[in-house]
Amino acid sequence: MKKTAGLAILGATLIWGFAAGAARATTISFWTWRQEDRAAYTEIFKDFTKLHPDITVKFEAFPDESYPTIVSTALAGGRGGDVIHVHAYGWLEQFIKAGYFLKLDKTTVPSLGNLPSDALLSGSYRADGQVYAMPFASQTLGLLINKDVFAKAGLQPPKTWDELLTVSKALKEKRITPLANGLGTSWFNEMFVAVFTNPFLGPDFVHDLTTGKTTFKDPRYIAALSKLLELRSYMPDGYEGVDDETSGQLFLSGRAAMLADGSFDIADFKTQNPQLNMDFIAPPAPKAGDPGYVTKFYDGGYAVNAASPQKAAALTLVNYMGTPAFGDKLVSLLGDISPIKGVTISDPLLAKVAALNATAMPQIDLVYFRFQSPTGSELLQTNITKMMAGSITPAQLGADVTAGVAKWYTPFQGK
Amino acid sequence: MRSLWIGLLLAPAVIVMTAFVLFPLLSAFRYAFYEFNGLKPSHFVGLANFRQVLLEHPFSDNTYRALWHNIIVFIALMVFENGTAFLIAFALLKALPGHRIHQVIIFLPVVLSAVIVGFLWKLFLHPLFGLVNNALALVHISGRAWLGDESTALGSIIFANIWSWIGFPTLVLLAGMQRVGKELLEAARLDGAGDFSLLTRIIWPLMAPSVTIVCVLTFIGSFNWFELPYIMSGVDGSPGGSTDVLGLYFYRTAFGSETSGIQNFGQGSALAVLMFIAVAGTTAVALRYLRRREIEV
Amino acid sequence: MSNRHEGIKNSGIQILLLFNAFVMLYPLLVMVTSSFKTNVELFSSPFSLPRSFALTNIATVWTDTNFVRYLANSLSVTVASILLILLFGTMAAYAIARYQFRASGLFLMFFISGMTVPLKLAIIPLFIELDRLHLVDNLAGLVLVYVAMGLPSAVFIMTGFLRSLPKELEEAARMDRASELRIMLSIMLPLARPAMVIVAIQNAVPIWNDFFFPLIFISSDNLKTLPQGLTVFMGEFVTNWGVLFTGLTLAALPITLLYVVLSKHFIAGITQGAAK
Repeated sequence: MKKTAGLAILGATLIWGFAAGAARATTISFWTWRQEDRAAYTEIFKDFTKLHPDITVKFEAFPDESYPTIVSTALAGGRGGDVIHVHAYGWLEQFIKAGYFLKLDKTTVPSLGNLPSDALLSGSYRADGQVYAMPFASQTLGLLINKDVFAKAGLQPPKTWDELLTVSKALKEKRITPLANGLGTSWFNEMFVAVFTNPFLGPDFVHDLTTGKTTFKDPRYIAALSKLLELRSYMPDGYEGVDDETSGQLFLSGRAAMLADGSFDIADFKTQNPQLNMDFIAPPAPKAGDPGYVTKFYDGGYAVNAASPQKAAALTLVNYMGTPAFGDKLVSLLGDISPIKGVTISDPLLAKVAALNATAMPQIDLVYFRFQSPTGSELLQTNITKMMAGSITPAQLGADVTAGVAKWYTPFQGK
Repeated sequence: MRSLWIGLLLAPAVIVMTAFVLFPLLSAFRYAFYEFNGLKPSHFVGLANFRQVLLEHPFSDNTYRALWHNIIVFIALMVFENGTAFLIAFALLKALPGHRIHQVIIFLPVVLSAVIVGFLWKLFLHPLFGLVNNALALVHISGRAWLGDESTALGSIIFANIWSWIGFPTLVLLAGMQRVGKELLEAARLDGAGDFSLLTRIIWPLMAPSVTIVCVLTFIGSFNWFELPYIMSGVDGSPGGSTDVLGLYFYRTAFGSETSGIQNFGQGSALAVLMFIAVAGTTAVALRYLRRREIEV
Repeated sequence: MSNRHEGIKNSGIQILLLFNAFVMLYPLLVMVTSSFKTNVELFSSPFSLPRSFALTNIATVWTDTNFVRYLANSLSVTVASILLILLFGTMAAYAIARYQFRASGLFLMFFISGMTVPLKLAIIPLFIELDRLHLVDNLAGLVLVYVAMGLPSAVFIMTGFLRSLPKELEEAARMDRASELRIMLSIMLPLARPAMVIVAIQNAVPIWNDFFFPLIFISSDNLKTLPQGLTVFMGEFVTNWGVLFTGLTLAALPITLLYVVLSKHFIAGITQGAAK
């Protein structure tokens, strides 16, 4: 009798347990602009569900050019994905200010401890210093080299600015476009500027700039910009209109020897041309012995929608996105460089990029001056084409960016 | 009784318009008077947003540059798109052999989306692989980066616009011309009128309603121009803002550009209010004038 | 002499029309052939015929998306929107054009002003409003937005045409004591067919091709429209131009075929006034 009762209780407990499990089984959605990463995230979410059988994740991607509008509309209407892929810095901050994202801390998201402080900064709110988005990948800007083209031309990749110019001259004589970059895509311009000016600017300049000691009118900045003018004759014909896509094709097809680009393109280039013998090096240093600073920034992060009805499940996913298991997949499936401690990078080229990150400069306009309009980025992007076309001077560019940013950046006001 | 009937006729359209255009627009217009902190309005600032977009560098530079480009677009579309459409319509009016198939063909691109048109012409105008430059190379003219060169980018997008949309004014104008009636045209011809005097004395005055429609739609379309430049040159109006128009500038200001700017919904609303006042006001005045012309006839 | 002159002129016109036809058609041909090409082919020989007409790209689009479902949604949304625009637009335009009343000019301006603002500005209030009406992620909500967007130009075009119809017919019918409804339906509206055809096509094109509003308002996969479904799908192939062009061609194909099939009626509809 007792036994039966015990069995009944056991049975009931089991049924109750299953029922409760079924009741807790939730589906959360993940919103992103990375449509091309569907396969990778599907695999990652499968791994996640293995660890948390009660949570399944639905991947929903949107065209990246409409993504900001779609996300801000949905969030304003109290809807939107449970976990939202966000761009870092100023882009994220406007959503945080509106109260759309949940604050993350080590009690709810212990894996935050796996991330270095400069990564966490990209997902933080400047006003309260708290983290609102789990950072996902660092991007490094430097110089992509087609090793075969260099070998065939009997040349060595440049280490200093002077070498860059002599090598370019030699390549041009062999009818190879030295540098594949064009100016047709405005965000790609900003990266082009960062790659070649950062080694000339150095960390001291960034320190002076962000502490209000100097502005973009600083002679160091003007001198660095002036260097860019020397590159014009080594860029493709009609470079003003060559967009990022074309630059990539020129480089991939071996018609150009170098491309100032980000580590984010490496994986894509490899799939497009598996035979490509490619190297990623630091941009040319001002002179031999100087460090050739690469440019490093964080791409974005994962935030939890404050209006989500399934915050606990969403936080569980975001916590998983800070673990080495996730970071390893990010590296192996997407070729991204994960900042998570304990992640191994086996691809030799990616490992090299990660090593170059030791001597890195921030992408100045993105990290410090893209918080209110007019942003440093939009001012630079508009003005750089004019400067390269010769209709304004580097000094005029520096003055205009300074004056524009001064509208909202108080340390520049009156300077 | 009569006013009830009129009311019944107007009601559905007025209700739908009020609910889904007027009401949401007025709520958005309200934000033109607010300063935004992130994505939410923080406090009332009166006309500050208007002052910024009209008077303060660098915002005002963008506004006037964009406005100027809209004016260029309007003039170019009036002259080249509608002018050519008028000539083609007149050629089709003659009903030469094959005119029906030409009517079908010229309207074909009209059904394509701006995405397709934009993609196609981007490929055609490509500095390295594009048809246009390859064709020019055959006759030893060196091509250029049509969409990347500040002096040709806007013109190239206008050209793509004309290619895709010319069928519409052509058929509207043709419909207007055909309303003149064969009898009248033949009678005039018997009186010895040539093509030119036929056109200026009889067809042109009698087709006034079609001309009104084409002109007003072109005007409004030019000042709300958005999709094609958005696809062909991006939300920043690359290169160097040479293809920036009010539609792009408004959208970029209100919703941000993920690669350069952040959202400023207050300023974006202010821009939209100004666009509305300017375009609706001008349209009202122009309609008055165009209608008078119709009545005189 | 005059005839010969006329003949030369007509041949000149024919040549120009042929040239125009070439300019109109050639890009479309490139779009279709591009969908059979690989990336390498597209960049090395973008304007030649593809090396093979293999259907791999089409198969990718067909099997990886809910193509038929998207197509059906697009068709129903477009047809429903156009019918409502024509119905409401013609009613309103008829009232404004055929009756003398004090506020008629004001009503016309009310509608026209709806064309002069970018409705994208209102996207957030519109979303919140539709959400309250339970019309988010609902095709009916999409239809209502399109109807509201299409009405201004519909009323504008219809008013212009209806105004220009002669008064005599209407007055004769009134003499015969025909009801206002009968005058409208059986006497005036048949004469307005060209304008209705213009309104239908002028609205059908942007509604069919729109992906902005569906992206914001529709999230369930089985409610997605064709341009929306393909836009999201094509994003996975950002670097595969062949698949991209296949998607674009497939998105354009239904409405293009529809237009070609119906073009006889369409052209006849527009130019119907010719004999009158």
